[in-house]
Amino acid sequence: MGEHARLALLSAADPARPLLAVHGRIVSAGQFVREVHRLAQVLPAGPYLVNLCEERQHFLIAYCAALIRGQSNLMPPSRAPEVVAELIAAHPGSYPCDDALVAQATAGGGEAGAGVLEVPAQHVAEVVFTSGTTGPPKAHVKRWASFLGSTRVTASRIREQLAPRHAGARPWIVATVPPQHVYGTETSVLLPLAADMAVHSGRPLFPADVAAALAEVPEPRVLVTTPVHLRALAVSRHTLPPLALIVSSTAPLDAELAAAVERTLLTPVLELFGSTETCAIATRRAAHGEPWHGYPQVRLTPQEDGTRIEAPWLDGPTMLQDVIEARGDDRFIVRGRNLDMVEVAGKRASLAELTRRLLAVPGVEDAAVLQPEATSGGVAGVRRIAALVVAPGLTAEEITEHLSRSVEAAFLPRPLLLVPALPRNELGKITRERLLAALQSRS
Amino acid sequence: MPATQSPAERELAQLIVTAVNLEEVDPAAIDPEAPLFGSGLGLDSIDALEIALEISKRYGFQLRSDDEENRRIFASLRSLAGHIEQHRVKD
Repeated sequence: MGEHARLALLSAADPARPLLAVHGRIVSAGQFVREVHRLAQVLPAGPYLVNLCEERQHFLIAYCAALIRGQSNLMPPSRAPEVVAELIAAHPGSYPCDDALVAQATAGGGEAGAGVLEVPAQHVAEVVFTSGTTGPPKAHVKRWASFLGSTRVTASRIREQLAPRHAGARPWIVATVPPQHVYGTETSVLLPLAADMAVHSGRPLFPADVAAALAEVPEPRVLVTTPVHLRALAVSRHTLPPLALIVSSTAPLDAELAAAVERTLLTPVLELFGSTETCAIATRRAAHGEPWHGYPQVRLTPQEDGTRIEAPWLDGPTMLQDVIEARGDDRFIVRGRNLDMVEVAGKRASLAELTRRLLAVPGVEDAAVLQPEATSGGVAGVRRIAALVVAPGLTAEEITEHLSRSVEAAFLPRPLLLVPALPRNELGKITRERLLAALQSRS
Repeated sequence: MPATQSPAERELAQLIVTAVNLEEVDPAAIDPEAPLFGSGLGLDSIDALEIALEISKRYGFQLRSDDEENRRIFASLRSLAGHIEQHRVKD
């Protein structure tokens, strides 16, 4: 892509075309563009906007307003207040943008916006951060052309799954995932902008919420969700409006659950594989237990502790924590992962970083964290982090409260056990076996 | 001194502790007016999903969380128990 090329912000800019469903109302592309302009006019002049909007419509407006102003969207690895503060401090000129700011700037009516909004192809649309095993969060640059490159493939993989009677119709997305994590950005932000789809502004949680949101949009409906939500939908047996497709990502989807969902909801379930660093790079029908079908032009090279990924839309080679085994013809399977990185309900974190944050709590003298195997009880398939902590004079609640300022809820240790000392072996090392034994003896 | 639990609140506390496997928590010790989510008991949205499922199985109605009004129900054990009393269809 030429250095001076410019790409449309909205691929289908017909002002009348539906873009969003907000509290039962359809918002057109023209109305959206007007609101983007209005926010863009009042944004400060910094290089980076930190998008903290909780509401999807606001998130999209802020995201686009930043691009129109030639700014980049800074995406913190989590919204824990200290993490956001650290990020802003590390990036002079960055500023937070929240729902209140967007609502204020876009209040009141006015003429629908016209004209094509454009963004330079090489413009850095986003800088995403991932927490790593060592050191501060690592930055990954995502350029506008790159995003569009991977989004186009994702869109075609989605459209391939729609029944023939939906051919040519604009898919409506209802997402249970937030827009700020890369899966939610690729699906609920980029597909509407760059692939002529539309999106519901809500973020339904319970099965009844999902049903209500789906009922607010026309067919063909695409539910973008995760294994945790899918399991809740399956168990609740809540009736849903007819679905054209379900998309799942962030954690492995059990083939049997996928098959059961396909049977009961009469819809294909397409699983998406990717990462914050690489965006989506493969899809498959989980119910069929297939190998992953990689995106065209993605090169996978196995390494010592993961896989090197190269793709035309990435700024450079990127390491994936997963160990991948190629199966020929763009197909691959995933073997395992680097032991420091853990996943809880679809979110990733580093055990080493969690330990660092625990040790940083005043009064904590020593700490070790681990992710035990799944136990019975609790939400099926969700493996929480457990911690053993030496902190005379503190309660588990006090430590957890302090920790919650820098660690997201999903990773707060449960249980957090206070112990007089960490169980070390003859060599002075803390082993997983000893931690597990200590946990067992307390329950 | 935390407020005392009513029998309905005690029942709900037990349901919550079992549903989300809070091994270290005594249901009787949960302050009915303390926050359930975020601080207080420290539950998150994954827990909310599980609790909603258990509530629909036990009390026969669906929880919603998609507007301000609905979210207020989850502020505390007391508010959630009150909502259940109003909407339950099973005994």
